[in-house]
Amino acid sequence: MECSELLKKLGSMSAVAGRENRATQRIAELFGEYCDEVRVDAFYNVIGIKKGKGQNPGSVLVTAHYDEIGLIVTGIEESGFLKFAPNGGVDPKAIGAMPVLVHGKEDLFGVIGTKPPHLIPPEEADKAIKMEDMRIDIGLDGEKARELVSVGDMVSFVNPAQELMNNRLAGKSMDNRSGVAALVEILKELKKLNHEDDVYVAATVQEELGLIGAFTATYNIKADLGIVIDVCHGDMPDCPSDETFPLGKGVAIAVGPILSSKHTKACIKLAKSERIPYQIDPETGDTGTEAAVHAIAREGIPVVLLSIPAKYMHTSVEMVCVDDVIATGRLAARYIAGRVKD
Amino acid sequence: MFDLIKTLAQTFGPSGCEKKVADTITGLLKGKVDEIRTDAMGNLICVKKGTGKKIILAAHMDEIGIIVSYIDDKGFLRFSNVGGLPPLIILGQRVVFENGTVGVIWYEENIDNVKNTKLEKMFIDIGAKSRAEAEKLVKVGDMAVFVGDTIEQNGRIISKALDDRIGCAILVQLALNAPKTDNEIYYVFTTQEEVGLRGAKTAAFGIMPDMALAIDVCDMGDMPGCKPMAVSLGEGPTVKIKDRSVIAHPEVKDALIKAATKKKIPYQLEVMLEGGTDAGSIHITAGGIPSGGVSIPTRFIHDAAEMVDMKDVENAVKLLAEFVKA
Repeated sequence: MECSELLKKLGSMSAVAGRENRATQRIAELFGEYCDEVRVDAFYNVIGIKKGKGQNPGSVLVTAHYDEIGLIVTGIEESGFLKFAPNGGVDPKAIGAMPVLVHGKEDLFGVIGTKPPHLIPPEEADKAIKMEDMRIDIGLDGEKARELVSVGDMVSFVNPAQELMNNRLAGKSMDNRSGVAALVEILKELKKLNHEDDVYVAATVQEELGLIGAFTATYNIKADLGIVIDVCHGDMPDCPSDETFPLGKGVAIAVGPILSSKHTKACIKLAKSERIPYQIDPETGDTGTEAAVHAIAREGIPVVLLSIPAKYMHTSVEMVCVDDVIATGRLAARYIAGRVKD
Repeated sequence: MFDLIKTLAQTFGPSGCEKKVADTITGLLKGKVDEIRTDAMGNLICVKKGTGKKIILAAHMDEIGIIVSYIDDKGFLRFSNVGGLPPLIILGQRVVFENGTVGVIWYEENIDNVKNTKLEKMFIDIGAKSRAEAEKLVKVGDMAVFVGDTIEQNGRIISKALDDRIGCAILVQLALNAPKTDNEIYYVFTTQEEVGLRGAKTAAFGIMPDMALAIDVCDMGDMPGCKPMAVSLGEGPTVKIKDRSVIAHPEVKDALIKAATKKKIPYQLEVMLEGGTDAGSIHITAGGIPSGGVSIPTRFIHDAAEMVDMKDVENAVKLLAEFVKA
């Protein structure tokens, strides 16, 4: 499958953090096409295993989370309107008038209703609405709504990725389905290459709630090299240029204290020699990604962080460039295949 | 059950100093379970042996407290918090140290806005007239807890430290009732939950169970002007969906709902937006442990007088008795 088709397919799945099991099987099938074995652990991490040809193979674990931000139902009003809270980092300013899918006893379409401008008093016109004052309308009265929806049910946004000009895609959950697409790109590329090491690609869960899936995956798979694939901020108007990266200019290779300088340097060198477009992403802290978990898992796993620039992160119009996804997959695969062990 | 709750709630045990609580529980459960042990973090682990699944039921022993950081020339104590302590609600409260010394919390009255008072502008008065006199009773590093009677009134319990001695009481009662099951049940009384879910982490790693539940308190939404939440006192213990530290594993959540439905035990679904529980550190232990929680809706959490409904407590015992058979 072409990368853009793959990404559109991934972007159409609903996998709100903590309830990823809805998408688990479909991701397992995507991996299965290229893997010797696919495992699903107790937390619904999906782990594809591609054995290496080496006599004494090392093991590389590549993680990219497949959960997405969403909402959680906190109450059902007599009138049938649903109250909700964020599940992951959701900006209330960015969700008004959004279509949603409420994952109740069955999937129910709903909308986050907003007051028409005609009925907004002038003194409220410039004010942002708080999330606790918003409601989801699923078109049912209280009694019917309660039959189908419970407090605690998850809600996902509806806006599957659309193709734009210049190989760009925009839609919900590009953070981090574009990373999952890169995992598949790695598997595709590895088919063409000889690799000594066993490769574990893991689509992980609950990253948006505190890197949860990475904790269990890094413990279960005893890797000697970790690679994390996630999104970084794309360049946008009115945002600091040192924290954003242009779309279409290649994979962002992170450089920072918790990341393995040896492997990172070698990746940069490889990107240069293979003419894979890349940019350098300085990360001073713990990176806020699963790399922070790899670094301290078990005895500590040397880890490389590769990022795909994404504009408008944590909204329903996250935008990525397919070329960057492909570059990320190519670099990771070629590094795995050619790596020299300690 | 009230006497059990009172005994546990009135035992001294801020985070890191849970030994007295552990001793009390050991006294209650000795001979009633197959094994009682403690680990290096001070967790008390009481095992009912079995051949089936290994299930952890965890309740934390530690309570909110204060720690003395400095004693001034006049004998006033400066202090910091042990666990989450909103400054405003502790003004004028009495605290008691392990040796029985009682102090009163007050603040520097020359500050502009009491509402924004920080702990460093507050002090504890133990009646000492000099540092030397104070140091006869209290040292830097000593901890104290709230003074607050345990009473029952209108079917509700008011007491200090219901967070989480109510969970401890539920587990002790459950262990005494000894539900019939092949599963191996670990009644784990954890330490240092209030300072970052610390005890549960090592307990879970040491036991490596097949699943785990945290038995703790949760917020409610049935008080004048409080944040909306679909949980009320007296409407049943909660089945945890989510708190700040964990999303309940779907199989654990479903097993609890099934147990409640089968035994016609009232329950509520809990989406708690603030605060975490031991399940938060247990579920990401090692390769991952499916975890969830059962909570008692509680008012005034972390205050000197917390309130729960006795029916919720009794129903929690019944719910867990059925759950452990799963």
